[in-house]
Amino acid sequence: MSAVTNVLPYAVAAWLFGVGLYGIATSRNFIHLVGCLGVCQSATYVLLLGLGYRWGSIAPIFYDHPPGTPAVDPVMQALVLTDIVVGATLTALLLVLTVQAYKRGGSLDPGKLRPMRAGGQTDRDRSSDRGRPAA
Amino acid sequence: MTVILPLLFLFTATSGTAVVLVRDPTRQVFAIAINGLVLTILFDALQAPDVALSELAVGSAAVPLLFLVALMAVRTQAPGEDA
Repeated sequence: MSAVTNVLPYAVAAWLFGVGLYGIATSRNFIHLVGCLGVCQSATYVLLLGLGYRWGSIAPIFYDHPPGTPAVDPVMQALVLTDIVVGATLTALLLVLTVQAYKRGGSLDPGKLRPMRAGGQTDRDRSSDRGRPAA
Repeated sequence: MTVILPLLFLFTATSGTAVVLVRDPTRQVFAIAINGLVLTILFDALQAPDVALSELAVGSAAVPLLFLVALMAVRTQAPGEDA
């Protein structure tokens, strides 16, 4: 029982990271891909909090406990807090890039992404010539 | 207490897998919000109430709203036109 519970946070973190990578590799939609990247990041939350956790200890708030009571590691919690904020920012940035790629390329499929050319013209625009503003 | 923490870890792994396996982005938004809620409960059980609070605000409210905004921008905008 104890061996299982000691290994479980690392196993869950590895599983979440692997599943997220699988989703990124097999995704056919950029928005779905950003969601899979969020799963990869939640693996880091679980790993860091699992590193700092101690069985039977309190949260690192000593308002109603005497100083010296065993508590979980507050440094790991600060790292996870930073990680969450960075993850939200990264999600927002990647979603904006997704919308821009859809505007330029006309598709959300990573397999249909074309290399960008000078002037922002893609193959699709050249063949259909639809909706281009006069530059 | 010794049983609920492994259960929450397994529940986290399950909900993360669900986020990946739901391929439709519109339905994936709900999976992401549920995953954020499960992570919130896990962090609270791991004695990290401040992290749980910020995960509740960010992971299950702000990030799904960002996904909804991106889906709306993709849906209402024909490809190729600048706005």
